[in-house]
Amino acid sequence: MTDLTIPSKPSQKDGAPRTSRRNHFRRYWQLYIMMLLPLCHFLLFKYAPLIGNILAFRRFRPGMGPYGADWVGLAYFERFFQDPAFWSAFKNTLILSFGNILINFPIPIIFALLLNEVRSQRFKKFVQTISYMPRFISVVVVIAILGELLSPSSGLLNRLLGDLFGMEPIYFVNEPQYFRPIYILSETWQYTGWTAIIYLAAITGVNRELFEAADIDGASRFQKVIYVTIPSIMSTIMVMLILNVGSLLSLGFEKVLLLYTPSNAFVSDIIDTLVYRTGLVSQNYSYATAIGLFSGIVGVILVSSTNWLSKKVSGESIY
Amino acid sequence: MSIKRKNRPLTFADVLIYAIMILVVLICFVPFLYMLALSLSSPEAIINNKVSLIPVGINFDAYNQILNYPNFFRAYGHTFFYTTAGTIISLFISTLFAYAMSKRFLKGHKLVMKLIVFSMFFSGGLIPTYLLIANLHLTGTVWAMLLPFAINQFNLIILINFFRAIPAEIEEAAIIDGLDYFGIWRSVVLPLSTPALATIGLFTAVFFWNDWFNGLIYLNTSQYPVMLYLRNIVNGTTMVGDGAGAADKSTIAMSIKSAVIITSTLPIIILYPFLQRFFVSGLTVGSIKG
Repeated sequence: MTDLTIPSKPSQKDGAPRTSRRNHFRRYWQLYIMMLLPLCHFLLFKYAPLIGNILAFRRFRPGMGPYGADWVGLAYFERFFQDPAFWSAFKNTLILSFGNILINFPIPIIFALLLNEVRSQRFKKFVQTISYMPRFISVVVVIAILGELLSPSSGLLNRLLGDLFGMEPIYFVNEPQYFRPIYILSETWQYTGWTAIIYLAAITGVNRELFEAADIDGASRFQKVIYVTIPSIMSTIMVMLILNVGSLLSLGFEKVLLLYTPSNAFVSDIIDTLVYRTGLVSQNYSYATAIGLFSGIVGVILVSSTNWLSKKVSGESIY
Repeated sequence: MSIKRKNRPLTFADVLIYAIMILVVLICFVPFLYMLALSLSSPEAIINNKVSLIPVGINFDAYNQILNYPNFFRAYGHTFFYTTAGTIISLFISTLFAYAMSKRFLKGHKLVMKLIVFSMFFSGGLIPTYLLIANLHLTGTVWAMLLPFAINQFNLIILINFFRAIPAEIEEAAIIDGLDYFGIWRSVVLPLSTPALATIGLFTAVFFWNDWFNGLIYLNTSQYPVMLYLRNIVNGTTMVGDGAGAADKSTIAMSIKSAVIITSTLPIIILYPFLQRFFVSGLTVGSIKG
């Protein structure tokens, strides 16, 4: 993605540092004032909660503020390490995440490669425009539409299956074995077109001469995709993979919460919904913070280790 | 759909690709068509499973009915307010922040940039954020919906990169003309950044329009946004179709549910074609690097 950043303007960068400190502030004080309010806002709403994670090591008492009352060490961590509900949520998170990456990481790449092969620019543009649209739909609406499409009594899918194969209606949203496919495929529906933008932008940036050289060598269309296009966008693919693996533990929490029913709980309870239920529903604030902090730290470790690995193997990294 | 390049005949691969693309378009569209059809069909047609993608027995009863629900109207109004106010606040704070941050020579610039990027990978988490907002006594007020989400780090970085691309000569000319930095921000930088502002504004507005979870944890029932109202209809917390006979209840509920889905998604679908030409350029300008 390096090619997309904008080179700094030399006059901006060099103009200032040579002046003395006093001159600097006399000249630029307005910029500091300008930054003051947003910076305070940023620190309050992004960093105060970050510090608030010390609640994981402190006992929460009502009325004693968000940082807890007294130190308890690692007591909450010990507790959830022995909690079968945590391990079940941990397992569910990993299965759902890996399933999701397995399906929804390659599909946008394939979609972008295919779309790039469409010759009519107008048709290409049309498909692109339509395919982004689901990204803008609220997850509540997606789940509501799914509920009607999959309804056992009148849903389109059950009627189709009944007419074509004579199948009995299936109560998809209530049967635990359909929870993961529903989650993953609705992600496919919502985000394929959107994610493909990044790859399409990368494909557009591929050097034309490479294709011309391949033409001279007599490469077929398919060979050009395999030997020119894919290697050229490999760095984008790697960056996206790092980001995907890094967010392994942070699934679409809101969607899982909306799909959650008591009957599919043993597959649909993920770490984030566990944090929500123990924290906000049962008000075990410290305990829930400990679980949330654990998953946050694992997330950071995942990003930095995949980033490190990718740097070693392919020379690509996000920082 | 005309094929522009004349020198290559349409191959089997081309036909296959076109077929796949048409399928993709249909898959994106069909759910909405189905909802539209359900919302416009008569209860008899729905109960007899006659409705698929074309409405049967067209009528606007479902829409008439939801327009007469005071709660629906109120929720819709709330969403409208959260979206407008939230987007304005967010654009105000973010553009101020991004403009100052686009000046690399400011002291502490590097540190603040690091703080922004770090907070993208490691966020405070649900419970600490909730407790902070509760302790600021924002719970149960509209500020709980508007303030905490005013800065989105990803959008902020897009803006910073966009502002950096504005030629320094323009600003220098403005300084010579006697404008101070606030003046430059207001009458030079912002007008020059319409595509970026439209993109970020769209993302932010969509975020506020679609939000339901923050409404659930921070607001009272009387302040709920429309998405939370829809979610309550879907999971049965809010009853719809009251006043009708028990037998039609589920089918009436179905057309009403669809009508709520259509009306609550309509503004996005209407705005989308106007704004979508901006966001591809906006998105590609500001990829993650700071």
